[in-house]
Amino acid sequence: MRASRLIAISVFLNCVALAQDMASTGTVSSTPSDQRETIRQLVQQIQQLQARVTALESKQGPAEKSAAAVSATPSEESALPASTQEATLATTFKDDHDVRGIRWRGFGEVNYKVLDQREPELESLGFVPGSAGNFYTGDFDLFLTSKITDKTSVLAEIVIGEGDGQRFDVELARALLKYDYNDHLRMSFGRYHTGIGFYNTAFHSGRWLQTMVDRPLVMEFAADGGLLPTQAIGLSVTGQIPSGTLGLNYLAEYGSSDTIRPDPNGNDDVDENNGNHFNVGLFLRPESVPGLQIGGSFYHDKISDFLKGPAVRLGQTIANAHVVYQGHGIEFLNEAFLIRNAYEGGGPTFNMPAFYTQFSRRFGKFRPFFRYQYTNTNSNSSYHDDILLRHGPSFGARYDWNESVAFKTQFDHTIRKTRPDLNGLQLQLSFAF
Amino acid sequence: MKQMNRLSTHFAHGLLALCLPLLVQSNSLAAAAHVPAVVVSPKNPATNLSLGDLRKIFSGDKRTWPDGTRVKLFTRAPRTIEFAALLKLLGKSEADYKQYWTSKVYQGEAESEPMVLPSEGMQREALAAYPGAISLVDADTIKPGMKVLKIDGKLPEDDAYPLRP
Repeated sequence: MRASRLIAISVFLNCVALAQDMASTGTVSSTPSDQRETIRQLVQQIQQLQARVTALESKQGPAEKSAAAVSATPSEESALPASTQEATLATTFKDDHDVRGIRWRGFGEVNYKVLDQREPELESLGFVPGSAGNFYTGDFDLFLTSKITDKTSVLAEIVIGEGDGQRFDVELARALLKYDYNDHLRMSFGRYHTGIGFYNTAFHSGRWLQTMVDRPLVMEFAADGGLLPTQAIGLSVTGQIPSGTLGLNYLAEYGSSDTIRPDPNGNDDVDENNGNHFNVGLFLRPESVPGLQIGGSFYHDKISDFLKGPAVRLGQTIANAHVVYQGHGIEFLNEAFLIRNAYEGGGPTFNMPAFYTQFSRRFGKFRPFFRYQYTNTNSNSSYHDDILLRHGPSFGARYDWNESVAFKTQFDHTIRKTRPDLNGLQLQLSFAF
Repeated sequence: MKQMNRLSTHFAHGLLALCLPLLVQSNSLAAAAHVPAVVVSPKNPATNLSLGDLRKIFSGDKRTWPDGTRVKLFTRAPRTIEFAALLKLLGKSEADYKQYWTSKVYQGEAESEPMVLPSEGMQREALAAYPGAISLVDADTIKPGMKVLKIDGKLPEDDAYPLRP
């Protein structure tokens, strides 16, 4: 390619020189035969030069070309040691989010929510139950990472959440010491978001990252009324399984959840008094369909039934299956859950299904979205008996003002068993900084 | 009248002199068509990558080289041919790409977003500084110190090169 350029430059210079020569001598004959002769000479010169380049290229094979590209001899390379070069480069391209080796990001939101509730709905994230509509800030999220060694780093997520009466509390949502041995073994110790399904570990607390205003109810954080143990302290291991183009990955977690859920109907909080759980998952990201993830997880824990006494224990098992596609401007999320609470010693067993499907597509700065969600818990169960059957559609649009600010509008219609249907409008200004 | 004829002849020759090399140049450029090459540090022992592995690397799913060296991603700025090739490889728009990497870092699955470099010279410096560095560069502008990887066994000059636009 360089040779082609040289030919072109050479021919150009030749032509200019020829033209100048002809012009300066003033001896150019204007007869057509002379013009044809000039063109013939030029074409001949081009052909000769092309032949020379072809001969040179044939001598220089592809391997040699690559080798030539690699030919960074010590004299060509910078005389600086690699560590100094790295430091210099890191300084040159220092990220605005890097302060003395600690990288930080932040996420915030301002919300307005209206519900046509005739009975108070859940107070969460600053929304006042029973009100016609009010503003609230939701979560203010600070995210920090710091590299300790080449394979070890620290990750922390601090969430300042709004509660009733515009009081704010600080929560350490995640605090992890991470060790990445290689692509097949990545370990994290500390407080993590449990890997039950896809949503919880994909979007965490930053509302700006998620397309819609809120999380699906089943995937809502437990502290905000969700059904699942979304946070835990313990050990998490994940990595790739050699599987060729299948792109198989695994996940294994062992830790303590200690989940406390508020009652969506405004009653007292429910402490599940969890034991230690384990959660295992498998998911594949096939090379043939970039953006596709298909997987599932299996969670097991033992919790107490305080209504019947703390000694009454039941096994809680949560199975998940998900199919997710994110690519070419399309987001298509589908997750199904089965929550199974089984009393020890031959007591009753409750199976509670839930699912959501969410679709959105980007059109420039607009991204219209649609979601349908379904949860069905059992009224005889001590857990989740406040949810019962809830299902319905949500739809709206997200507008990305710029790279960091998004405005979302969302309409919800929720059908509730034994309660009137609920309609809602949510507006959200979310931002990353 | 003779003077006019002479002038027009000079003009025709001049035009010819300008146009011929431009034609030659444009033909050769059309053949090259700004093909992005995948370049790594000369210290990197890899010589070939599958297109799937390349996609995994640039999407942050594959974070180490077979010898254990950490992958360090470098990209060119948006609206360059290299960046356009990257978006095509990942099947994302520019906005989706930025949001994707913010998410990736936030999920703890990446230390940082790929570093954006403004010139081929800086890319060369980066490749010299980071043994695990990888980047896309216009095959026309490959410099000494850039090791070109084959993708699915093909080099940028090959017809079946998978990153050919």
